[in-house]
Amino acid sequence: MDAPLKPRPLVLVVDDDARSASLLARLLHADGYDTEVTRDGAAALARLARQPSPHAVVTDFHLLHADGLAVGRYARFRRPDVALFIVTGYPHALTEALEPLEAPIEVLTKPLDYADLLTRLATAVAAQVAR
Amino acid sequence: MRGGAALARIPPVTETRFEELKRSVRFESVDAERLGGFRATAAPHFTRIARELSERLREHEEAHAVFSAEEQTERLQRSMVRWMDRLLSGTYDEAYFEEMRIIGRVLVRVGLPQRYVFTAMAVLRAALEDIADDASADAARPIRRALSRMIDLDLAIMMESYREALYDTVTDGSPNLVVGLDRQGDIRLLNQVAQSVTGYAREEVFGSSFVETFVPHDARPKDAPILDRILEGGEQRIVEQSGLKTRSGKVRDVAWTFSRLANGGPEDVVVFAVGADVTDTLHASRQLQQNEKLAALGTLAAGLAHEIRNPLNGAQLHVSFLQRALKAKLPEPDLVDAANVVAAEIKRLAQLVSEFLDFARPSALAKKRISIQALLKRALEVTAAESASAGVTITLDLPPQELFLFGDLAKLQQVMLNLVQNAVEAITPAPGGNVILRARRHPRYVRIEVEDDGPGLPTPDAPVFDAFFSTKPAGTGLGLAITHRIVTDHGGTIDVESRPGRTSFSFTIPIGTDSTSIAPESR
Repeated sequence: MDAPLKPRPLVLVVDDDARSASLLARLLHADGYDTEVTRDGAAALARLARQPSPHAVVTDFHLLHADGLAVGRYARFRRPDVALFIVTGYPHALTEALEPLEAPIEVLTKPLDYADLLTRLATAVAAQVAR
Repeated sequence: MRGGAALARIPPVTETRFEELKRSVRFESVDAERLGGFRATAAPHFTRIARELSERLREHEEAHAVFSAEEQTERLQRSMVRWMDRLLSGTYDEAYFEEMRIIGRVLVRVGLPQRYVFTAMAVLRAALEDIADDASADAARPIRRALSRMIDLDLAIMMESYREALYDTVTDGSPNLVVGLDRQGDIRLLNQVAQSVTGYAREEVFGSSFVETFVPHDARPKDAPILDRILEGGEQRIVEQSGLKTRSGKVRDVAWTFSRLANGGPEDVVVFAVGADVTDTLHASRQLQQNEKLAALGTLAAGLAHEIRNPLNGAQLHVSFLQRALKAKLPEPDLVDAANVVAAEIKRLAQLVSEFLDFARPSALAKKRISIQALLKRALEVTAAESASAGVTITLDLPPQELFLFGDLAKLQQVMLNLVQNAVEAITPAPGGNVILRARRHPRYVRIEVEDDGPGLPTPDAPVFDAFFSTKPAGTGLGLAITHRIVTDHGGTIDVESRPGRTSFSFTIPIGTDSTSIAPESR
């Protein structure tokens, strides 16, 4: 039996494309993360209102009920050091919407480069643990 | 004599305006002789008549206003003496006609109202007739007749001057180009706007052919027949847009309306060409159309970005998953290859979408001071490996003095890279070849040229700057469209000239200053 040495970081995946979302979760799981998946903005906010707070949120930008930026900002309100990744097909609109002084939200352009996401995720989560 | 008179009434094939006038008042050579013979008798009276004439004009407010100063009156009297001298000279040729026209133009220019020309003629006629009567009762009758005909001729010539001046006055007030043509299609009138647009002064083009003076060579096959139709009276009115060649050789776009008047004499205006210079309007409306097109394209691109990138996202994730699964299970190499091919194709599509977005919704320019020498040297370095493997030699042709302009460095580097890569690829099928990168300073802009000695564009008029136009099998057709966009966003222009053995892409970028380097509004 493998006793977990330390808890696996938790990633919340938010995407209305169910198959992509669950596949991303599956890949992340294989790479050492616990994952949860929600399909729209409202469900994501509801999940973020509960404990435990995820270490990281990987969210689509275009979502039903609340967009990825709202989800990200709420996640940050609940947990200030949360690692945020917003994935979008059209980053121009999102970068314009971001407040200049806002703590970094990583904007990733579709198609998502999974290897790149994994590297960024590892760096961000490592920074949290070090604190 | 009778036969001679009858002959004179048949118009000769070529008859000048003056000859025609003489024919119309029956002024014949015998009249000329009589006037010449009368000169000696009349000459002692010239000064008196001139004084009388100026007195008469002084009675009238508007005429007096023209010759009010003593000096002007004296000059008027001297001119009158010369005029009478000429009137009785006995030689009435084309030079005479021209002299009378000039006197007419002077009177118009000093502002003497037309009716006082009749006053002057009436004074002259009465005085000279009295002298003829006093000199010899016998000879008086034919002299009086000759005098009367000659004075009528002078009047007719001067009235022409007044009419021409009236045309000029009326047409000079027009905001349009007004060109008057005689029945040969020669220029007889050119208003102020036409003078300033064409760069010609009236006198320079009077009597020259409209087509040869103003219509560019390549437009003649189209425009010359149109003008002929209206000159021959086949049509009363033709509206036609055409090029107009100016004195400096530039071509302006002019929307002409040619209107045919009733028939006139050899030098009468029978066609009025009224034109609006629409060059700038056309340019602006083309620019507007282009901007609207680009705006629509931008909206389309944003939508497309979503519609294409979303499915690509799913595809890419699934391929990543497949690749990982295949790696774990050590399957046949073919399967791994197949997954890799799909992954590569997805990347290619993603790249195309990104390029298209760059083209359709470019980011705002970040301008700063750029050295042109550095820009071109950098382009040379970046493409060095590629050109070396293709056996292409790239040379720089730079002015010794360093050139600077305000522009977006990253974007101009992209322009250079696109053009140099294009040039190298254009040569590549054949071994070897040369590319020259050239920069030249002009007063307000810098011209940069990328020249190659490859086979040239397959069709020189191909719309190479249009999006998705490509002659290369692997090209996206966006490279030159993006290049064009970057150059025009900088306020510059880009052109291509191509023939086998020499193809040159050249673009200009305004030098600009820090204060004018305002980035276009962010899109």
